[in-house]
Amino acid sequence: MKIIGMDVMSTGVVAYYVLIAAREGLFTPIVADVQKGSYADPVPQAVILTAIVIGLSIQALILVGVMKLSRDNPTLESHEIERSNTP
Amino acid sequence: MTTLTLLWIALPFLMGFVIYLLPRLDRALSLLGALISVAYAINLMVAQSPLSLRLLDHFGVSLLLDPLTGFFILTNALVTTAVILYCWESPKTTFFFAQTLILHGSVNAALACTDFISLYVALEVLSIAAFLLIAYPRSDRSIWVGLRYLLVSNVALLFYLVGAVLVYETHHSFDFVGLQGAPPEALALIFLGLLVKGGIFFSGLWLPLTHSESEAPVSALMSGVVVKAAVLPLVRCALFLDNVDPIVRVFGVGTAVLGVFYAVFEKDAKRMLAFHTVSQLGFILAAPEVGGFYALTHGLVKAALFLIVGVLPSRNLKELQHQPIPRSLWVALTIASFSISGFPLLSGFGAKVLTMKNLLPWQVIGMNIAALGTAISFAKLIFLPHKALPAAERPALKPGFWAAMALLLGGLVVANGIYYEAYSLENIIKPLVTIFLGWLAYGLIFRRLSLKLPRMLEQFDHLIGVMSLSLILLFWMALA
Repeated sequence: MKIIGMDVMSTGVVAYYVLIAAREGLFTPIVADVQKGSYADPVPQAVILTAIVIGLSIQALILVGVMKLSRDNPTLESHEIERSNTP
Repeated sequence: MTTLTLLWIALPFLMGFVIYLLPRLDRALSLLGALISVAYAINLMVAQSPLSLRLLDHFGVSLLLDPLTGFFILTNALVTTAVILYCWESPKTTFFFAQTLILHGSVNAALACTDFISLYVALEVLSIAAFLLIAYPRSDRSIWVGLRYLLVSNVALLFYLVGAVLVYETHHSFDFVGLQGAPPEALALIFLGLLVKGGIFFSGLWLPLTHSESEAPVSALMSGVVVKAAVLPLVRCALFLDNVDPIVRVFGVGTAVLGVFYAVFEKDAKRMLAFHTVSQLGFILAAPEVGGFYALTHGLVKAALFLIVGVLPSRNLKELQHQPIPRSLWVALTIASFSISGFPLLSGFGAKVLTMKNLLPWQVIGMNIAALGTAISFAKLIFLPHKALPAAERPALKPGFWAAMALLLGGLVVANGIYYEAYSLENIIKPLVTIFLGWLAYGLIFRRLSLKLPRMLEQFDHLIGVMSLSLILLFWMALA
């Protein structure tokens, strides 16, 4: 549940970056003979691409950890796991 | 110098991967990687001329390497070297050494950069490497502690990302300087991310459990360097921007007192050290101009303490009082404790004096209380019973352990020379009085007191909740 929550949050951040990039215009900034209109800002898009990749890898890492934990805690209730693992 | 810098940043990552290809050379290669950083940091501090790099355009990567960064890099390099020496003869696999070197590289990158996005990438790499090191024993508890760390830091960095794009929107650049003129939300969001990553004030209460439940070498790395990767950007922002400086100072005093308050009542040696990390980070932030030197001494001392406590027969201070420890260990423990309490002849003294001198008037009382608390809590370690055990009973300590100690404690003595002006009569008397009062308070009150503070705030749900409360607090501070 917590992992899904984190994922929703990161999707929100990604959407916000895309929104900021599209503030000024919507067209892809590619050099061409015809002027199409105002372009989207490529920098936030480039930056958030990095963040998406990092987010995915962290997500994968967390899920592997949870798989390991699920062997002894099949219900995966975080309160239970926390109680049995804090000194 | 530019090429050298770029090579130095890339090298640890490169060597981290090469280690996988040449598993037989893992220990030697990782040691080499750390030693290269030592050489680079010393070079940086001797050169004294700041080097500022800007790659790509104004929205690209920017790096700043000045003597302040030099202190942090030196801390990172020395602690990593000591940890590798400590683990030299242990049966740790290639994986451990490769991750240590990658962690070292990501901390270096986080220390060098001055734009928000490079910092974000460095901090994320750092979280992943730290998670893998925490979860290295593969026990249920270590995996849970690691997961908790990864979740908390990832959520904090998501807040941070939102702040970064707000800065970009204002200036079309991700530089730290862009915080000036950015909306207050940007400052609040970015600072929340850095405060959580740095383990500062209430938002940093994930730190004690994580640092105390990891293995000794990993705790040494985490406390010695990992948290500092997020502290240096805070210090940088405070130095660049005048309106941020008071916020950072307030958090410095707050976290110094909070950490020490918990540490004084703590009965578990590793948890006490972890709470102490929280408090010492406050000392670094309380006087941003001179934070570098303090970070160096704290990194060395805390790594040494974690490594020593890792070989003690028990973690519980109550049990240790009935069980004499070997005298050689006790001597090392005492040197480190004296340094952190600010006793003259060790560099903790110079760092404390320098920090105290650069405080603003309203900070002095809080920081003196924190210094007193430090003396009280380390009296617990200094007054442990000890005796010269016969050779048969002595725990078998590896030469690697003593090599690491020699490096860290030797570093403390040598670092004394950086600020030798501290040695005036007035400066020497004050810490001695503080330490004496601390010991007195320990002997009369705290030794007999057994108070268990609730650990509610360290539960996972509350960590996330406190994060949002801190965000509101930061927002109002930024607006004020």
